[in-house]
Amino acid sequence: MRRRWGSADDAAVIESSWLEPERFAVLFDRHAPHIHRYLARRAGRQVADDLVAETFLTAFAKRDRYDLGYSDARPWLYGIATNLVGQHRRGEARQYRIMQRAVAEPEVPDHADRVAAGVTAQATRALLDAALAALPAGDRDVLLLIAWEQLTYQEVSRALAIPAGTVRSRLHRARTKVRQVLAGTDAAATYEELTTNE
Amino acid sequence: MNEMELLRELARGTPLPAPADLDGARARLVAAITADPATYAAAAQAAVGQPAPSAGQPAGPLQPSAPKPVLAAAKLMYGGAVTSAAYVIATLPFLGDVHGKVLGHRLSATPLTITVVILVFGLVPIALWLWMARAVSQGRNWARILSTVLFILATLQLVESRGVAQVFCAALTWLSGLAAVWLLWRPASSVFFKSARAPRPPSQISGP
Repeated sequence: MRRRWGSADDAAVIESSWLEPERFAVLFDRHAPHIHRYLARRAGRQVADDLVAETFLTAFAKRDRYDLGYSDARPWLYGIATNLVGQHRRGEARQYRIMQRAVAEPEVPDHADRVAAGVTAQATRALLDAALAALPAGDRDVLLLIAWEQLTYQEVSRALAIPAGTVRSRLHRARTKVRQVLAGTDAAATYEELTTNE
Repeated sequence: MNEMELLRELARGTPLPAPADLDGARARLVAAITADPATYAAAAQAAVGQPAPSAGQPAGPLQPSAPKPVLAAAKLMYGGAVTSAAYVIATLPFLGDVHGKVLGHRLSATPLTITVVILVFGLVPIALWLWMARAVSQGRNWARILSTVLFILATLQLVESRGVAQVFCAALTWLSGLAAVWLLWRPASSVFFKSARAPRPPSQISGP
C-alpha cells in the first residue's frame, strides 16, 4: 500500500494528511533533499539543516490551506523555504561572504596555467556571489528559484505569491544587474574553466 | 554562455544531502505529526477499524478528528454564543419595543413578558450557537448546512439592532458567524464532513 502513496501526486498526499497526518511524511521524503540543497546554497549547510525542518513544520501546520488544484507541491514548499531564508538574511549574507572569502584564498596547484585558469574562474565566482548579495531580496529570490531550482515563471509566481508579470520583470532586472557585474569578464572562457576545474 | 548558466555552474558545488543529514529534520516533523490531534483518531482506526466501545454501547465507525478549520469554526460559534448573550443584555432596555413590534402594540414589561421575550429572542439563538458548535465538531454535515442558513437569517438581526452596544454586539456576532461559515466550507472541512458521513474502510494505507 505504501507504493500507492509513493506514486500519488502531492495534492493527494496532502489531502490524505488532513485526516491522517502521518501521510505528510511522504511529502518530506519526496522533496526534502532538494529543498535542503536549495537552502544550503542560499544560507549554508548548517543553517539549511534547521531551515529544512522549519520549512516542513510550517508546511505541515498550513496543510489544510493547500490548494488541491495544484498537483505539484514544490512551488509551495520553495515559497515557504524562501520566506524562511528571508528571515535569515544575515545568514544568507554571511554565506555569500564565506564563499567570496574561500575564493580569495585559492589552493595553489602545481601547474602554472591551471593556477591562472583557476583564479579566473574563482574570480568570476566571487563576482557572481557579490552580484547576488547586492541584489534586492525579491529579485534574488526570483533569479535563484529559476536558475537553481528550474522553476517556471508560473511556479515562481505561485511560490512567492506575486503576479507572473512581476516574476518576469524581477528576473529581467536581476539578470541585467548580474550581467553588468560580469561584463568585464570573459563569461564563455570562465564557464569552460568552471566545468573543467570542478 | 550567459549569467544563468554561470549561476547553475555555481550551484553545482552544492550536492544533495546524504539521507542521514535529513534525519534530524525528519524526526522533528514526525514529532509534530505525532502531536497532531488528528493522529490519535487515525492511528486508532488504522489499528482496529472500530473505536473502543464505551460502557454498554456497541462499537461503531470511528469519527475522524476534526481538522483545524472545523475546530476554529466551533470555537467561533462558542464565541458567538457569548456575544449573543451580550446582545440579549444590550436588548433589555428595548424589551417593550421589541414585544410591541411583534404583537402590534406596546405592552408593559411584566416579569412574564420579560421571561418570554428573553427566551424567544435571547436564549434560543444562544442554544442554536452551542448546538451547532457541538454538531459541526462531531462532523455532522446537516449542521454545517443549517449553520449557513442560520447565518443568512442572522444577517437580518443587523437591521433590527439599535443603540451602540446592541449594534456592536450584533456586528460581532455576525462576524463570528461569517468566519465560522467560511471555515466550515474550506476544502479540509469538506473532506472531514464527507469522511465523517461515510464510514471509512478498515484497511488504510500504512505510513511511509
